[in-house]
Amino acid sequence: MFLSSAIRSAVSQTARQVRGLHRSAARAGAGGIFVHRDTPDNNPDTPFEFTEENNKRIEAIISMYPVGHKQAATIPVLDLAQRQHGWLPISAMNKVAEVLGVAPMRVYEVATFYTMFLRQPVGKYFIQICTTTPCMLCNSDSILQALKSKLGIKVGETTADKMFTLIEVECLGACVNAPMVQINDNYYEDLTAEDMDHIIDELKAGRVPPPGPRNGRFSCEPAGGLTSLIEPPPGPGVGVRADL
Amino acid sequence: MAEYVNIVRRALGQLGGHGGVRGFLVQLFRANDVKTGALIGVDKYGNKYYEDSKNYFFGRHRWVLYTTQMNGKNTMWEVDGSMVPAEWHRWLHCMTDDPPTTHPPVPRKFLAETHQFNVSGTAQQYVPFSTTTKKIHEWVPPKAQ
Amino acid sequence: MLRFPAVGRALAGLAPSHSARVQSRAASNMVEVFVDGKPVEVEPGTTVLQACEKVGMQIPRFCYHERLSVAGNCRMCLVEIEKVPKPVAACAMPVMKGWNILTNSEKTRKAREGVMEFLLANHPLDCPICDQGGECDLQDQSMQFGSDRSRFSESKRAVEDKNIGPLIKTIMTRCIQCTRCVRFASEIAGVEDLGTTGRGNNLQIGTYVEKMFMSELSGNVIDICPVGALTSKPYAFTARPWETRKTESIDVLDAVGSNIVVSTRGGEVMRVMPRLNEDVNEEWISDKTRFAYDGLKRQRLTQPMVKDASGQLTATSWEDALTRVAGALQGAQGSEVAAIVGGMVDAESLVALKDLLNRLNSDSLCTEELFPMDGAGTDLRSNYLLNTRIAGIEDCDVLLLVGTNPRYEAPLFNARIRKSWLHNELHVGLVGRQVDLSYTYDHLGEETSVLQELASGTHPFWEVLSTAKRPVVVVGSSALQRPDGGAILAAVSALAQKARSSSGVEEGWKVLNVLHRVASQVAALDLGYKAGVEAIRSNPPKVLYLLGADAGCITRADLPKDSLIIYQGHHGDVGAPMADIVLPGAAYTEKNATYVNTEGRSQQTRVAVTAPGAAREDWQVIRAVSELAGVMLPYDTVDEVRSRLAQVSPNLTRYDDVEGANYFKQANELAAAVNQTLLATPLIPPQLTAKDFYMTDSISRSSQTMAKCVKAITEGAAAVDEPSIC
Repeated sequence: MFLSSAIRSAVSQTARQVRGLHRSAARAGAGGIFVHRDTPDNNPDTPFEFTEENNKRIEAIISMYPVGHKQAATIPVLDLAQRQHGWLPISAMNKVAEVLGVAPMRVYEVATFYTMFLRQPVGKYFIQICTTTPCMLCNSDSILQALKSKLGIKVGETTADKMFTLIEVECLGACVNAPMVQINDNYYEDLTAEDMDHIIDELKAGRVPPPGPRNGRFSCEPAGGLTSLIEPPPGPGVGVRADL
Repeated sequence: MAEYVNIVRRALGQLGGHGGVRGFLVQLFRANDVKTGALIGVDKYGNKYYEDSKNYFFGRHRWVLYTTQMNGKNTMWEVDGSMVPAEWHRWLHCMTDDPPTTHPPVPRKFLAETHQFNVSGTAQQYVPFSTTTKKIHEWVPPKAQ
Repeated sequence: MLRFPAVGRALAGLAPSHSARVQSRAASNMVEVFVDGKPVEVEPGTTVLQACEKVGMQIPRFCYHERLSVAGNCRMCLVEIEKVPKPVAACAMPVMKGWNILTNSEKTRKAREGVMEFLLANHPLDCPICDQGGECDLQDQSMQFGSDRSRFSESKRAVEDKNIGPLIKTIMTRCIQCTRCVRFASEIAGVEDLGTTGRGNNLQIGTYVEKMFMSELSGNVIDICPVGALTSKPYAFTARPWETRKTESIDVLDAVGSNIVVSTRGGEVMRVMPRLNEDVNEEWISDKTRFAYDGLKRQRLTQPMVKDASGQLTATSWEDALTRVAGALQGAQGSEVAAIVGGMVDAESLVALKDLLNRLNSDSLCTEELFPMDGAGTDLRSNYLLNTRIAGIEDCDVLLLVGTNPRYEAPLFNARIRKSWLHNELHVGLVGRQVDLSYTYDHLGEETSVLQELASGTHPFWEVLSTAKRPVVVVGSSALQRPDGGAILAAVSALAQKARSSSGVEEGWKVLNVLHRVASQVAALDLGYKAGVEAIRSNPPKVLYLLGADAGCITRADLPKDSLIIYQGHHGDVGAPMADIVLPGAAYTEKNATYVNTEGRSQQTRVAVTAPGAAREDWQVIRAVSELAGVMLPYDTVDEVRSRLAQVSPNLTRYDDVEGANYFKQANELAAAVNQTLLATPLIPPQLTAKDFYMTDSISRSSQTMAKCVKAITEGAAAVDEPSIC
């Protein structure tokens, strides 16, 4: 009796420690640290300049907001910078601040707040695998295992050829098509480990496989086929009074 | 009766022992005391050491008459206990009954050749390093060219 | 409102606008609300917190600060309102008619206790080693409103400390993210360096990149921080608030005359903090005011000194030094005696020195700071005052700065300008070197010809100035110290007169202003001192009395070989090494003295610590000299000196009462007679960058903290980083 209570308390203590270790991607990796440290590939001298095309886009974005509220364009312009450069070096944030005429700190605040702004270098294909409960129940662990073994990296790492970065994320809102991964802007859904291998092979070959469900579904309709609205729609006049 | 005779005898002895009325007064003002006794010895600075264990009880039976000039300092009126050199100090304080005249001290390398005064309260006194920081750092004028 | 920072924009309408000076609305517009059943009438738009304050009920708060925009993120001010389902944040919620605010209900207390528990969840329990201990809002409010235990058993969050310069120590783990410092930096200081990075539990305050918090007002974030996250680096681990004695005093390191509290312990100044004065410094002080106090402990003159035969200054007794001074004064006649006073001399010693020299038939009394004596010169008081007053800047709509950099010459005046710029759409124009003033302005050029163009109406900025309803022109004292100072004053005066007539502003509004840089100048001019040492240079005296003159206006080379220089002051800086006799005086924390700021407001300092060593209050030294010289001055106490001050210039003893001066028209007519021409040299104020701000006078030049600031600016914050003890 006495021993069992001791063991129970020890187990609960250990569980608490483990809980401290297991943290969500946003907390552990994707957000990174919230101060900037100069590194060889991320410092104020990292070259960054908006392309001519993007400058036009910025103009268009800013024109959407009232005069004097350029600051409102921070998020779209930051996103544009990230799309152009792949991720957001400090020089890009400084450039955004310059373009919008705000203090750099105001841009850093936004960029550190949103986890979709990547302040660390990532590979060409940024793979975010969802391991939240619904995906996990649909065996997202096997997808993760497939990715790990296929790419030879662990979660949070980038392949040596700077092609793939793998991170684990919380729910991406596609539970109905679980399990799923997001690669750059594309959702690949209803995956199996073989599908995953195939997608990576395609990407390696330089082709972007079509996004969407992999089990033949068109979208998020029930996996076992439609259960309602299966008969052809009735024509006009159905259920209407005969005299009309 | 004999008591009174003894007192008068000692009074006269004190007058005579210090060289008349003037010597008596000088002695009185310098040492606040007019004891007479047997001269045991004189050190090299001129301090005279006396003893009279018959008429004075223990603790007052040895005394010193300080010299008037020691180590280049006029000590006529500025006398100090630290004028007694180490070898006489132990006799004077009854650590031994053998005065240095009969038992010269064993020479030691730590014994000073010339006896030094105590420098406490003078500019030469030893001041240990202060652990408190100065509250006010005064301006030190630049050296004139 | 576009200038208002984003964080507060949404709530700007709710923020109490001190500056806006809203005319009180008609009584019918008032809203009646109840605080714990007590009725109170408030203006529409008043927040719940302000309504409670109006009936004397303090709502606990961390993030709310009445001079900053409302953030509403600490949630400590939650109160229950009758018939409202959820507790509301009192700082951000405007009152509605008939609300009954329950500040001590069960729900309110529970909400506070819950918020407190959340705040303390991540707050370290290091009060015993925290410098904020004893004056910590979190400590006080957790005692008052918090629970005695926590349910939080997980590990606490820890945040890396930031190095933001040699003045502010950061212990970011203690931060409760109230963002007061962020809002202060962006709204009051105008330096958008601080911000919040990250989100959720990982949110932290910082600069994101390695950067110093570079502002001349940065020290104020120490005061507004409700916890011990931002503390003073020089004061770290030196004293506890309950063991210091506080003395209310006045700062003399610039001409603003900020109100300060000097904290002392054991005869040592431990720190300097601001004191509220809405008309002068509000509740802020500049970094020089706050951190230059360690200069009061270095390079001090602690005993009288005279030059011996070899020309070396050696310490001596007061008796000896005073006899020599008196002998020298007796030996010289009339104009063979002259005096120069420096920038930190109080009015009492100014009048005593003037009386002494007048009794010796000399009137060669000069200040180090120059002021043009042409035209009306210093005869008309309106010519040399900041007539609009510091608070008056909030009422003006167009401001023209001429040859000045208020950001470093008078940081709190600049803070007022920024406040008005932010809240009142103040339009600023600057003639002079283009510098960062922390707000935007129209740069009109560096040339003096701009003044003439403005006066003739050909300059584009004249369009703005002429349409102003309440124009203000501020000319820097450094611009008037050029050889053509008289002409500049005449030009500015004419411009001000023209702007006044075109604006049609009421009679009491004053347009012309002079911004001084040293604390003693106005009092000296009020007492009839001549400005500038030119008279002394052209007519070298046999005996020269330097009273705290450390600007180096005059050197040995300007005087005949056999002349005698007496220096009286508190620091061995520039004046003392060239003197033959040095008399130690008291610094501003060590005497009861009167100082007049640039607006002409007389204020008094009080004795916080005794003068070091043999140093004495300056007027007493002069009084002692007079007695030995056979021309005894008729006062023995400071009250008698002040009654003499009142005889000479009554405004000097009317403390905190600004005597207006209003002879602009006459001054302008007299100025028209000045036959000087404007020189072509550009108007460049001496203090251009932050580097020039820190060390400007004998006290700040002796301060190690100020030296560190200069070093940090030139070499980066890492150069002065000290290994922290905790």
